[in-house]
Amino acid sequence: MTETAPVVRAEGLTKVFGNVRALDGLDLTVLRGEVHGFLGPNGAGKSTTIRVVLGLMKATSGHVELFGGDPWREASRLHRKLAYVPGDVALWSGLTGGQCLDVLGAGHGGVDQRRRSELVERFELDPTKRVRDYSKGNRQKVALIAALAADAELLVLDEPTSGLDPLMEQAFQQCVRERRHAGVAVLLSSHIMGEVEALADRVSIIRRGRTVSTGTLADLRRHTRTAVHAVTERNPDGLSEAEGVADHHRERLDGHVDSRLTVDPEHLDAVIGRLHVAGIHTLTVTPPSLDALFLRNYGERPDGAATADGGSVAGVSR
Amino acid sequence: MIPRPPVASERPNGLAVMLRTTWRIQRRSALVWVLVLGATMIGTAASVAALYDTPAKIRTYADAVRSGTALVAINGRVEGIDSLGGVIQDEFGFMAAFLLPLVGIGLVARATRREEESGRLELLLGGRIARQAPTAAALLVATATILATGALFTVGLSLAGLPLARAVLYALSLCALAIVFAGLAALLAQLTLHARTVYAGGLIVLAASYVLRGVGDARRSWVVWLSPLGWEEKTAPFGAQRWWVLALPLVVALALSGVALSVAFGRDLGSALVRGGPGPRRATARLRSPIGLALWIHRPAALGWLAGGVMLAGMMGALSQQLVDAMAGNPAIATAMGIADARPIDGMVAATQLYLAVISAGYVVQAIGTLRAEEAGGRVETRLSTTLSRSRWLASHALVVLGGLLTIVLGSSLALGLATALSAGDLHELGPTLTSGLAYLPAELVLAGLALGTYGLRPRLFGIAWAGYAVMTFIAFLGPGLRFHQWLLDLSPTTHVGNPPVGAVPTGALAILMALAVTLAAIGFAGFRRRGIPQL
Repeated sequence: MTETAPVVRAEGLTKVFGNVRALDGLDLTVLRGEVHGFLGPNGAGKSTTIRVVLGLMKATSGHVELFGGDPWREASRLHRKLAYVPGDVALWSGLTGGQCLDVLGAGHGGVDQRRRSELVERFELDPTKRVRDYSKGNRQKVALIAALAADAELLVLDEPTSGLDPLMEQAFQQCVRERRHAGVAVLLSSHIMGEVEALADRVSIIRRGRTVSTGTLADLRRHTRTAVHAVTERNPDGLSEAEGVADHHRERLDGHVDSRLTVDPEHLDAVIGRLHVAGIHTLTVTPPSLDALFLRNYGERPDGAATADGGSVAGVSR
Repeated sequence: MIPRPPVASERPNGLAVMLRTTWRIQRRSALVWVLVLGATMIGTAASVAALYDTPAKIRTYADAVRSGTALVAINGRVEGIDSLGGVIQDEFGFMAAFLLPLVGIGLVARATRREEESGRLELLLGGRIARQAPTAAALLVATATILATGALFTVGLSLAGLPLARAVLYALSLCALAIVFAGLAALLAQLTLHARTVYAGGLIVLAASYVLRGVGDARRSWVVWLSPLGWEEKTAPFGAQRWWVLALPLVVALALSGVALSVAFGRDLGSALVRGGPGPRRATARLRSPIGLALWIHRPAALGWLAGGVMLAGMMGALSQQLVDAMAGNPAIATAMGIADARPIDGMVAATQLYLAVISAGYVVQAIGTLRAEEAGGRVETRLSTTLSRSRWLASHALVVLGGLLTIVLGSSLALGLATALSAGDLHELGPTLTSGLAYLPAELVLAGLALGTYGLRPRLFGIAWAGYAVMTFIAFLGPGLRFHQWLLDLSPTTHVGNPPVGAVPTGALAILMALAVTLAAIGFAGFRRRGIPQL
């Protein structure tokens, strides 16, 4: 396996349960050392994809590679290099958190003991408490600490922060960044846009078992628009006709002019120029958010959705 | 003041809603309890009436029971033992002492603390349900279930030809026993944090009640009156018919329920008076290994089944001399146990070993069934996403279950052998007792194979393993007494073991059973390697 080979490569995956098509031609590529956001609404097939990638389930058709090997046939060998946090963290309720960490760690290729104790402190986990006395968030912390402490090349995290409070989510994001700097690839499944936006280098958006959009965040941003809200002294000229502008609304307010519009990122400069000429009183520019794209992809039929760059650009940071 | 919408005041505490919800949760287990208990009582009453069809036979039975204190301690001092009803009460006594309290504990624990533990109660109490409504609903549903069981009891006893008033009093005394433990469980559910603690606490009280009643009966002491089991006995349905004694369990049950309701009204959701302390910070090296974790998972259940086996074996062994005497007096007892035409002590060992085989097979099916729970809980997925392979995971569990089976069989057989030796004063029985226990291993392993096979292929089919176990239990317990056809008897693997030490063990048949067990297990392993995980 060469250095540039992807850690996960899935092409045209389908998975049929009875008469339900959970996966319907799904593509997913996770490159070495990148954080890959895996986005989709509930029931889109995120967990099924992850189970196929881990070799827990066999795809009905399609091709899947994990570290260049076949996860269905060589699961336990390939698992040496990864750590997985399932969506519903399931632990043994009679064991303590500390015992669970060790039991989970024993199944990983190796555990960094110093990082383990560091993480226990950072996540403020009491390892002497029984799992059945933990809240959902604390159970999730146990699984996360076990995965983050593992000497892995790939972390597979299925909606890992759904039970964490904002403070712990901060700690989680910091930890993921640190692992990424150490060269670890992360497959981060989520339906929380902010989390993916904060962490991911590249993103795949799926819907009804099919990939509808994939690329770097910059690629995806190109398909989103910047929102501008300006209050100017005079009426700005030709805003409605300017290139790349849409949704333009204007009204007079206490002798000022209030303008709202959206603009393509590449035409932002020209728009600000015209506003400047009109004498800016206040100006709010909302940076392009993936939320819009996310909502658009969720809302529309998959055929009508935008497909950004096919995934050839790797590791572009924001 | 915010004006209240009129709808909210219609049902101020949501008891009706809660009753419907509780009934939904409980109806299946409630129905199973009613049917199983009712059928057991109807069956016991009918078979006792058929076996003890003359006053002379009943007198022999009564004399045998009265001849020592052991049977009195176990089944209770039944007033009116020299009547048909007394024999039924004596025969049913041991089972009733455990099953009826368990109904009360189980039904209430399920609907209260387990629901609270799972967080489902929080969802309901977020609506317009009063805090004490779930407890009240649980108690009402449990009481209704218990009374339905009592109605079936009455029917069964009447069918056996007992006078209606006596039948009703006996059924009510059993119901009252169950209701006391339902009230106890309701209170424990308010005091402890977990449903399993409610069960454990209830069983401890039950064990204490059993000991008090046993000691009291053996010594003819007043301490019997301290035990709920004693109250049941002192109603004397087939003796003096003391209806007023029913007031004791009812007052206690009402008091327990009242305290439970007021605690439920006053405490925070999710809180408890009793909480566990901290546990170990790190896992031992053993727990980290697949076998070690499997051992940790299976140990509590294995110990429970072992305790059951040892208790039964010890009791039968201790009574062996008395049983032998009783059989000498009434050959019908030997026929009912399926051991006519044999040396009585061998017959007793053979009958006990068959019961122990049923216990051991029950452990095996239940233990392999926990793998299904592990999978449904998502823990198998967690395990198999690591370097642990599917085969190693399943093999480590199979090995531990096999070890548990051996422990149960050897432990119970040893208890049986030693107790028999003590009772009969002859150590020669020890060897044959052990080997006859081991002879049942292939039959038990067939059940293990069936369980592994269904689990490996498709966990949803696991009911087949339980059905197989039910068939085996049915044939083992009732087959000899009810004189089934041979083809029906042959359906149970235990039939092919040859009833040691009374009969010779056919080696060929055991080899076939082993081959069947291995084949089924291999199918399970092959299926488990090929199927998707998790499958629920």
